[in-house]
Amino acid sequence: MRETLVVFRRELKSFFLSPIAYVFGILLVSVLLWYSTEPALQNGLPASAIALFGTLPFMLILFLPGLTMRTWAEERKLGTLELLMTFPVTIKQLVLGKFFAALAYLACVLVLTLGLPLTLGAYGKLDWPPVFGSYVASLLFSGAFLAVGMFWSSLTRDQIVAMLLSLVSLFALYQIGNPANVEYTVYWLPSWAIDLISAVSPHRYFLSIARGVLDTRDIVYFACFCGFFLYMNALVLHARRMKG
Amino acid sequence: MIEVERLEKSYGFARALKGISFAVAKGEVIGFLGPNGAGKSTTMKILTGYLLPSGGRASVAGHDVVQESLAVRRCIGYLPESTPLYAEMRVDEYLRFVADIRGVASAKAPSAIARAVELCGLSRVTGKNIVELSKGYKQRVGLAQAIVHEPPVLILDEPTSGLDPNQIVEVRKLIERLGQEHTVVLSTHYLQEVEKSCTRVIVVHQGQIVADGTHQQLCAQRPAKGLRVVVRGAEPAVLATLRAALPGQAIDVAERAADRTTFRIASGAEAPAEQQVARAVVNGGFDLVELVREHATLEDVFRALTLPAGQEVAHA
Repeated sequence: MRETLVVFRRELKSFFLSPIAYVFGILLVSVLLWYSTEPALQNGLPASAIALFGTLPFMLILFLPGLTMRTWAEERKLGTLELLMTFPVTIKQLVLGKFFAALAYLACVLVLTLGLPLTLGAYGKLDWPPVFGSYVASLLFSGAFLAVGMFWSSLTRDQIVAMLLSLVSLFALYQIGNPANVEYTVYWLPSWAIDLISAVSPHRYFLSIARGVLDTRDIVYFACFCGFFLYMNALVLHARRMKG
Repeated sequence: MIEVERLEKSYGFARALKGISFAVAKGEVIGFLGPNGAGKSTTMKILTGYLLPSGGRASVAGHDVVQESLAVRRCIGYLPESTPLYAEMRVDEYLRFVADIRGVASAKAPSAIARAVELCGLSRVTGKNIVELSKGYKQRVGLAQAIVHEPPVLILDEPTSGLDPNQIVEVRKLIERLGQEHTVVLSTHYLQEVEKSCTRVIVVHQGQIVADGTHQQLCAQRPAKGLRVVVRGAEPAVLATLRAALPGQAIDVAERAADRTTFRIASGAEAPAEQQVARAVVNGGFDLVELVREHATLEDVFRALTLPAGQEVAHA
């Protein structure tokens, strides 16, 4: 626990010491806010928090790979990973420390979007519980995508490769569960495979985000999703100890 | 303190270590020598708990490197080759991070860091970002992180590579000081470093230990090289005089300068006494400029052990 916390603190600090954190944060927040207020500015439609969260998964797919690509790839390239792995910490502690640091950073970025619901609440009637639910769901989504991005980063020492692999796999994983695409696969996939795909893809949990209604199943799903990729991440790091 | 038994490591089909065994006692400063790719770094990485061996066993301070990896890591300070550091952190921040992750109690951390900073001569740069430091200072930060938790064993992989001669002397002095309190294993390509700072030398070649002993012991294994004489005078005349005075000795001209010639006389047990040569030169009416008995150096030992037979002569 103590060791995880030490890793967590250093990682979080390094996020805020690097320019990428600010560029990333400002871009993500601006794009999110733009998409949720643009209809109001252009066509006089009501601005909505739903619109904010509706675009979030897609924005995360676009932006998160740029954030997670460094996680292990940079440490490996610099050689700091070797030193890190000779400190008296377990691989699990390293993975969890880095994961929660990235999640905490994303939470900070999400806090920056609070301006929108606060403004809406000030000038109109906003139903707060779903907004709160949406924020929690957004964090769950972020965590799941972070875990995937970190996993790819552990496989290569080239950050660009890690970014592209994360981008493509996140996009595929997400779109494969999109009902429109599932329909398309009906012609050539057995039904159990379709069920499996839609169960694994985070897409079906997209509505929970937009509606802000959280289910225990959603939480279990995201916990398993993160757990799986973080575990794979730890396995890859462990394999490094065999290969060097 | 360190025990290594028939340690093996393979990378795919390449066998980096072919069963090496050695032991290091408390307080020793061991110099690991060997050509690039000999297996020095691999051995060190296994000792630090980073790499897993393919066979054999190793233990540090009584803890097995595989079974009790975390316990081993608590006993060591490690400076990897090329000194990886987090460039964006400040020196003091970085040392605090290492102290924390190494399990130094928070109350003791400031004094532990102060001690490392003092020992490594970092007090002027503690507030600077690591990225701004010169290579010499970065190397010292690397050493400071290795000693901040006062480990009984220090493992330093090429601590002086890439430094300028002044920095090398400084880092070498530092290692000598550290050697008084810690058991040190260091690898290097600088042979003088081993002569100056190490109590024992282990030469590794192609994944095997080819020599293990003190500097003097290793040098004594090689035959002495005989006498080197520098004489002022006409070369043929000097040569004739020497040959006449020292019958049966092999005498070669080693070097010719404007007014002086360097001769090398015999080698091994047969080499003549210095007085005999000196008298021959002076009696012949020449000026004796220099007369030295040459011994095998660590460089000769290293070459003999690590170069393929035949090539050794060409380099000597």
